[in-house]
Amino acid sequence: MTSKTSPHNGIPQLSAQIAPLLLVCALVFALPLILNNDFLLNKIARYLVLGILTVSLALSWGYGGILNLGQAMSFGIGSYAMAMALKLKTIPVHTGSGGLPDFMVWNNVAQLPWFWMPFKSLGFALVAGVLAPALVAAALGWFVFRSRVTGVYVSIITLATMVVLNLVIIDQQSYTGGFNGITDLAQLELFGVAFDAYGRATYYLVAGCVMLSLLVAFAFTHTKAGLVVQAIRDHESRVRYFGYDVAAYQIFVFALSAAIAGLAGMLYTIVMEFASPTFLGVQISLSVVVWCAVGGRQSLVGAFLGAVLVAGMQGALSESAAFLETWTLVMGALFVLVVLFLPKGLAGLAQGVWRAIAQRRQATQEVAGTVGQTREGSA
Amino acid sequence: MRAAGKRFAGGRSHGDSRVDQFIEQIITGLSIGSILLLVAMGLSIIYGSMGIINLAHGEFVMLGAYTAWLLQSHFGLGLLASLVPIFIVVAAVGWIIERYVLSLLNNRPLDTILATWGVGIMLQQSVRLMVGSELRYVQMPPSLSDSTDVLGFSVSSYRVFLFFVAIALFAVTWLLMNRTTVGMKLRAIMQDRSVAASFGINAKRVYALTFAYGAGLAGLAGALVSPLKSVSPDMGTGYVVDAFMVVVLGGVQSLAGTVASAFFLGELSGAIAFLQNDTVAKAIVLLAIVVLIRFRPEGLFATRVRT
Amino acid sequence: MTRHLHLRDISVSFNGFKALDGLNMSVGKGELRCLIGPNGAGKTTALDIICGKVKPSAGSVSFDGVTLEDMEEHQIARVGVGRKFQVPSVFRDLTVAENLEVARARRPGVWANLRWDARRAGREDIERLAQLVGLAEQLEQSAAHLSHGQTQWLEIGMLVAQDAELILMDEPTAGMTAHETRKTAELFVRLKGRHTLVVVEHDMGFVKAIGDVISVMHLGQLLAEGTAAEVEAHPDVRRAYLGSGGITNA
Repeated sequence: MTSKTSPHNGIPQLSAQIAPLLLVCALVFALPLILNNDFLLNKIARYLVLGILTVSLALSWGYGGILNLGQAMSFGIGSYAMAMALKLKTIPVHTGSGGLPDFMVWNNVAQLPWFWMPFKSLGFALVAGVLAPALVAAALGWFVFRSRVTGVYVSIITLATMVVLNLVIIDQQSYTGGFNGITDLAQLELFGVAFDAYGRATYYLVAGCVMLSLLVAFAFTHTKAGLVVQAIRDHESRVRYFGYDVAAYQIFVFALSAAIAGLAGMLYTIVMEFASPTFLGVQISLSVVVWCAVGGRQSLVGAFLGAVLVAGMQGALSESAAFLETWTLVMGALFVLVVLFLPKGLAGLAQGVWRAIAQRRQATQEVAGTVGQTREGSA
Repeated sequence: MRAAGKRFAGGRSHGDSRVDQFIEQIITGLSIGSILLLVAMGLSIIYGSMGIINLAHGEFVMLGAYTAWLLQSHFGLGLLASLVPIFIVVAAVGWIIERYVLSLLNNRPLDTILATWGVGIMLQQSVRLMVGSELRYVQMPPSLSDSTDVLGFSVSSYRVFLFFVAIALFAVTWLLMNRTTVGMKLRAIMQDRSVAASFGINAKRVYALTFAYGAGLAGLAGALVSPLKSVSPDMGTGYVVDAFMVVVLGGVQSLAGTVASAFFLGELSGAIAFLQNDTVAKAIVLLAIVVLIRFRPEGLFATRVRT
Repeated sequence: MTRHLHLRDISVSFNGFKALDGLNMSVGKGELRCLIGPNGAGKTTALDIICGKVKPSAGSVSFDGVTLEDMEEHQIARVGVGRKFQVPSVFRDLTVAENLEVARARRPGVWANLRWDARRAGREDIERLAQLVGLAEQLEQSAAHLSHGQTQWLEIGMLVAQDAELILMDEPTAGMTAHETRKTAELFVRLKGRHTLVVVEHDMGFVKAIGDVISVMHLGQLLAEGTAAEVEAHPDVRRAYLGSGGITNA
């Protein structure tokens, strides 16, 4: 993880670490300039959103050592928050008397349930989409980490909790749209800009959020709290004897990760134009783990690219059913190989190659007698 | 407990007092419990002795069921005659996986979950590509397709047979673990791998054998339950969840705990399914697991051990 | 010297085995106390009790007037207790500098450490510490790549970084060369006075080089206490070590 560091500059040179991140963001923003196909841009926006979701998992898994197998729960909560608000915006077209969503009318619900009420305000929904997953995660984290549940048990609990929420949403059809989810949504409108799923505005919104979440995650991992979280991943009990409240740090990173996943969920609703219980399903949750592992769980940019590339390839191949079947087999094999031989994913591989090149270059420089490297003072 | 099946073949032959209903419920629970025990035993051995949560366990069950189908439909072999070959086939698959995947992952417990999950996907997908995803059916042995009288209730003979097979396999496993050299070596490795190695115990070989045995048991379980339900490439998913709950509830490293929890869960799921709808039952069981892990990670039936 | 650390009638057992059986011990402020005893005497367990890793089944621990036995590990650490483990315990995926930085835990709260400047403040400190434990060249190396002796040094450096008032050391020189051991002894003598140290050690040469007062434990109890010469002459101590070739070979 450490790139080249000058011996007197405290923190490993930030600029060297943030460069790939900014490069990826620049590429994301530049893409519409060369790609003039709205349908394709919408598809890519979808993969970018999944990339954000994967970054959120890299934060809790790669940095915090918490393998959340229910990461899609936060994603789903964000997605439903957005969908509920957008559903209530469609009153004149798709709703019954008193602004009741259509599926409630079909299910003979007479009155808008209390937990739908605040979603009449778009502002509330936007805040809730990020804050609600964070609060749920903090509560679950408190329940789990305060009693020092670790390792696989955390994974099982997160997975089980997500499945329970998923079951409840499907079961409570009259309040949640059940199996069909929430469909026929209005377009999001913010500050006079309409975000059509197939419009440029939506793409740039997603691109902006990609940059925001990568930067927030990057900033966190470079604070001292981020360092303590990594120390906890390495040796949980040791951290305690330095006076850190381990559970508090775990809860924090768990909640931060959930907040970013919630943001991704909101964007997913905008891009897909609906919310569905499959958004908080086992399938997505496990896929995120694969993407994260393949891209590199200890690299934010790696995890992001892993998701975009693998999900993108899967999307491209899924046109043909036979292809998809074989692809799943290949994915399984690829995943096993990555777990076995590349625990730090493709990002780890890239870093290794980069370091080898840098070392060779340095060696040749030394041979050439140009040893007098300039040493910077602390920046 | 979806995959364990809650419908119980058989009927009351007399009287319908509360006591009768209660006894019938108990018998249903025993039947579900014996299936749970069959499915969970392999997972319990692998988890308890190697610390590996084998997410490919369900796929071993599936492989066993498919082998039974293959032997029956293509070679005309009856289910009972197929049991030994099935055990060998699935155990061999398990041996290969341990040898070439899991043994490379020493001291990386979280990664073994991921690896076994990836292996599970591969097995499932391979079967789907080779024999298709349509449902397959395995015939019950003709000698066991009638019903037997148990405490005045008519119960499917096959289910009675399964109950005794489950108990027998448990006994065999217990003897293997406690009365044979391999079992003794395994227990030595569980205590302290490096000390065991210094006494000349080949941990790699013992681990490979243990994993193969667990896989073989899962294969037998798959073959034995296949006449009760249809066989499909994704049938394992439900079983791995069920088996895992049995193991967590029973406590790691406790074979007897596995038995107790299998029958406990069998009775419980019989009762819940009787009282509630399916979704609520599933949610309740999952929540119970969450709470259990939070408050008693060592399982309900295990004694607390200091680490 | 004021009595600073008190263990009163501490008992604890694992699966029926009494690791500590009514242990009583006091250590004064600024003292360097060595703790010796045959294998299984309960030395490590005594340290575990002080730092909160193990909870006593009976008895009480107080440090600087604060009762410790009901507190959590991180709370005990915040009172000023630091611990070095027998198996060197560092963060292997972090660099040496990052390890030292984590150890500098004057403000252990989450929110305080989210501040962007929380990391820069202690850089000079970290370089000075690395110098002290001879790891200045390895600052940006990951701790996983250190030798066993260097890892020991790193953990000692981390304890100095933590700046705990009471430092508990469990076999700090295990795996060190004679030269490294001597350097460790020098460091400990320098720490004494400013910090209170309790050191569990097998190496009697090392113990004699650093310790003023030696406590000898046996079967979970305090057997004898005094200078090296006093405890070596003590009849009970001789009896306890009988068969293991005498105290110097413990």
